[in-house]
Amino acid sequence: MSRAARTLLAFGAAAAALAGIPATLALGNGPAAPATAPATAPATAPATASSRIVGMRRLTEAQYRATIADVFGPDIKVAGRFEPIVRPAHELIASGARDAALSPAGLEQFDAMARGIAAQVFDAGHRAQFVPCVTPDDACARATLAPLGRLLWRRPMTAMELDAHVRMAGAAAKAAGSFDKGLELALAAMLVNPQFLYVVETAVPDASGALVLDDHARASRLSFTLWNTTPSEALLRAADAGDLRDPAKLQAIVRKMVDSPRFEAGVRAFFADMLLFERFDALSKDPLLFPYFNSAVAQAMPEQMLRTVTDHLLVRNGDYRQLFLTNRTFMTRALGGLYQVPVHKASGWEPYEFAPGDDRAGLLGQAGFLAMYSQTGRSSPTLRGRAVRELLLCQPVPDPPGNVNFTAVQDTANKAMPTARVRLTAHMTDENCSGCHKLTDPVGLGLERFDGIGSWRTTENGAAIDPAGKLDKLEFTGASGLGKLIAASEDAPICAASRALEYVRGRPSDDSGALVEALVKAFADDGYGIRGLFLKAMTAPDAWRVEEKPLQANTHVSLLVR
Amino acid sequence: MTANPHRRRIAIAGAMAGATLLALAAATGLPHRATTPARAEGTAAPALPAPPPGGVLAFVVQDFVPPVVPGMDACPHGTAPRLREIYLRTLPEAEQARLRLKENEKELTRLWHAYALGADGSNICSQPDRFQHAPFPPVESKLGYGLDLDGGKPGKDGCAHAEFESPTGIQGVDNQEYRALGCQPEIRGPDGNGGDALTGMKQFHTSGEWTQVIVLKGVDSLVDDPDVEVIYANTADRPEIDSKGQFLRGVSFTVNDTAPRHRNVLHGRIHNGVLTTDPADIALAETWGQGGARDIRGNRSQYHYRQGRLRLEFQPDGTLRGMIGGYRPIFDVITSGSLGGAGTAVVAGIDCAAQLASLRQYADGGRDPKTGQCTTISSAMRILAVPAFVTDLTAADGSTPKHAAPNRSPAR
Repeated sequence: MSRAARTLLAFGAAAAALAGIPATLALGNGPAAPATAPATAPATAPATASSRIVGMRRLTEAQYRATIADVFGPDIKVAGRFEPIVRPAHELIASGARDAALSPAGLEQFDAMARGIAAQVFDAGHRAQFVPCVTPDDACARATLAPLGRLLWRRPMTAMELDAHVRMAGAAAKAAGSFDKGLELALAAMLVNPQFLYVVETAVPDASGALVLDDHARASRLSFTLWNTTPSEALLRAADAGDLRDPAKLQAIVRKMVDSPRFEAGVRAFFADMLLFERFDALSKDPLLFPYFNSAVAQAMPEQMLRTVTDHLLVRNGDYRQLFLTNRTFMTRALGGLYQVPVHKASGWEPYEFAPGDDRAGLLGQAGFLAMYSQTGRSSPTLRGRAVRELLLCQPVPDPPGNVNFTAVQDTANKAMPTARVRLTAHMTDENCSGCHKLTDPVGLGLERFDGIGSWRTTENGAAIDPAGKLDKLEFTGASGLGKLIAASEDAPICAASRALEYVRGRPSDDSGALVEALVKAFADDGYGIRGLFLKAMTAPDAWRVEEKPLQANTHVSLLVR
Repeated sequence: MTANPHRRRIAIAGAMAGATLLALAAATGLPHRATTPARAEGTAAPALPAPPPGGVLAFVVQDFVPPVVPGMDACPHGTAPRLREIYLRTLPEAEQARLRLKENEKELTRLWHAYALGADGSNICSQPDRFQHAPFPPVESKLGYGLDLDGGKPGKDGCAHAEFESPTGIQGVDNQEYRALGCQPEIRGPDGNGGDALTGMKQFHTSGEWTQVIVLKGVDSLVDDPDVEVIYANTADRPEIDSKGQFLRGVSFTVNDTAPRHRNVLHGRIHNGVLTTDPADIALAETWGQGGARDIRGNRSQYHYRQGRLRLEFQPDGTLRGMIGGYRPIFDVITSGSLGGAGTAVVAGIDCAAQLASLRQYADGGRDPKTGQCTTISSAMRILAVPAFVTDLTAADGSTPKHAAPNRSPAR
C-alpha cells in the first residue's frame, strides 16, 4: 500500500471517530451516484472509473484559511493552531506537504477548528446562506451538504459519501434534538476528512497510457498553485466539463488566472516558500543590541519583501532578475526607523524608493532577508551566503558537522578580531570548516554593512567594514553589487523556474531537466515575467504527468458500520 | 543628495515638495540623556556638520523636564514638608507629640486628611485659592538653570525678583518657578538629584500622550544663521524607544493635518552653534494620564509660555540640547495637582495651597495693573531633542495639503 493510501486510511478512520458516527466511506472508487445535484453543477458524481490516487498534499495554514473564507465567507473565524508542515532539506514546503502526516494533537486542533467553523456556518446569522430548504429532513440535509462537500473536497461527493454524511447528520440531529446540530456535525466531519485536509491527487492514463492528473485534480492544482485557495465554482465546472484537459481551453483558463488579482496570493505563497519565510515565525533578536527590532518590525519584514515582490512582478510586470536591483519597496513607520528613512503615513504601508546607487536596492538589501539570515545577536555572512546560494541559485551547501568549534565566530566583542571578516578568517583555519565556508562566506561578507537586523553600519567594534565580496570568481561590493551578479547570473532564472516547477508539482524537479529547460526558455521569452513562468508551468503537458506508483486497483479505504 | 549611504552628516530629503518636511540629523551613536547644561554663549562651538540640502532639520523631544541644579545646598532646610507635617505644625507641641505616637496614627491620618478638605466640599488641590497656607521655603542658592527673559531687570509688566546664575556662568537667569517650588520633594528628590516629577515627565513623553517635535526650516549653517523658522509642535504619534527608555533616532512623526492642537511658529537665529528664538507665546499639550479610582486619564491642559523662547545648542552627535523659557500662568503650574483633586493632597501629601502661595509670592510676570500683583511666573524646562523625520501637514500659510509629498530617499 502506498504512503498516500495509508494516510488516507488513517485519516478516514480518525475523521469518523472524531465525528462519533459510524459510517462507510469508499474514497475515490465508489459507484455512480444518483443525480441529486443542482441543475448547474453535479453535486455528487462518480470518480472517473480509472482514476487512481497518486498523491496527497496537506493544505497549508494559508490555504486552509483562504478556503474557509472562500467557501463560507470571510466573517467565519478560524481559531486554532496549525501543525506546521516540515520542510525537507533543500526543498520547498510544497514538497513537504506531500509527505506531511498529522499528529494526534494536530488532528485534535483540526477537529476543534472544524467544529468551530461548522457552528458558525449554521448559526442564526449564516444558516440561510447554506441551507436551501425549510423542512428538516434527509432531503434538506442532502441539499445542504452536497454543494458544500463539492466545494470543500474539490470534487462532487460520491453517492456513498453523501449518504454517509446525511445519515450522520440525521443521527446527530436525532440525538441532539436539533436539525442544525446534525448539519453541524456532518460539516465538521467533512472538514476533518482527509479529502479536505489534503489535496488528494488522482490520475488517469492519457492516450499514451501515461498517468496524468484527472480533471478535478487539475482544478485543485491550478487553484492552489495560482491563487493559493480552493477551486472556484467556475474552475470546478471547467473540470466537470473536461476543459482542463483541452490544451487550448486550459491555456485560456490559466491565462485568466494569472491575470487575475488573485494571482497575488499565489505569488506570495510561492516566494514565502522559496525564501523560507517560516523562519520569520521564530525570528528573535537581542533588544539591547538591536533597539530598532520590535514586534512591529518583525511583522513588517516579510510583508515588505512580499510587497516588493508582488509590486515588481505583478503590478509592474517586472523582470524577475530585477528583483535584485529594484529601488522600489514599501515602508511602515516601524520599518522607517530601522531604515532611517521618512515615512509619512502614521499607520499602514506606503511606497518608498531608494536613491539610485543606494546599497538597499533589491531583495538582498531588505531588512527581512538580512535579519532572517543572521544570528540573534550578530550578522552572519555564512547564513547569508548560504541563503543566496541555496535559495536564489539552487546550489545546496552541506550542513556543518556536529563538532564545530564556533568560539572565534561568536566572540564578537573581541577587539583583536573586531569584524566578522576577521573572525571568519580565523574560523576557516579549521580544515573541517573551510570547505563550506569558502562557498558561503565570500558571498555573505559583501553584505556586512548591514547588521543582524539589517540596519546600516559602516563599522563593527570601531573597525571599518570592508564590503567586498566574491561569488565564485566574480568580485562585488555590497548588496547592490551582489544583486547585480545575481541578476546577471544564468543560475538565478533557472533556479526560479526549477522552484516554480517543484511548487506546482509538490516534488523536487531534479529529474525533470527537459521540463525545467522548457520553463526557463518560456521564462526568458516572456521577459522573465512571473506570469509567463507559471503560465508555462501550468500548461506544459509534461507538468501534469505523474510518475508515482498508483494505488492498486482493488485498494480502497473503508470504515465498517457497527 | 548622495548615493553614498554611509556618509555621516546631517541628511535631508532633498527636493521635498509642499509642506512635507523631513530631516534626519547626524547620528554617531545611541541617544543619551541630557546631562550637561547648555553651553554658555561665547564659548567655542563644537565641530558641527554642514546643514542638509534644503535646510530643514527635525527632531523629537525626548526630555522636557524641570532643570534642577543638583544637591541640597539650594534647600538648607531640607525639602518642603508634606501636608501631614504641615498640619501637625499648626498644633501645639504637646498635641503634635501625642499625635505622632504610633498608636494615634489613625487619628492623625483622619485629622490631616480633614485638613485637606473645606467645609463647602472643596479640597486643597482642586480649590487651592480657598485655603490660606504659608508658602514653602524657596530655593536659596544663587544657581539655577533657565533663560534670561527680562534682560536683567523686570519690565513694566514684571515684578522685582532675584535672578539666578547658571552653573555654566550665564547671568540673569529668570526661573522663579524653580525658586518657588525647587525644594519640593517631587522636584528636588530625596538626595537632591531630582524627584519623581522628572521621572514622571519622561514617562509622559515616552507614553506618546504629548509628544513634541521641532522642525527647523531655512537653516544655512548650524553655526551662524540669522534667519531660521522654527516649528515647535505636538504630534499624536508615539515615539519608539529602546530597552532603556531612550528615544530612537530617525523615526517618523506627523504633525496632524486635521486637528493640530499646537503648532507654534517661531522665528530664530543661530549664533555660535546655538539656536535662539524671539519671544512669542508658545502653547504645548499637557495631558495628564494618571489612573486610579478618580481616573483623570485624558484630562487635557496646556503649557503656556508667554514671551516664550528657545535656546537650543546643536550637538556633534546630532541632538539638540537646551531650554525653553517663558512666563507661565501660576495656576498652570499646579494643573496636575489640581486635576488630581483631594487625592493629590491625601495620597501624595502635596499641599497645593502652599504651592499656590509660593507661586504668588515669587511671580514675576504679567503684572496686573489694578492690583500690582504678578500673575505669571518665569519658568524653564530642559530639552533634549533627538533627530527624527517629521511630516508637517500644516502648510506655512495655514492651509492643509491633501497629500504629503512623494518619498525621496535622504542621503545617509
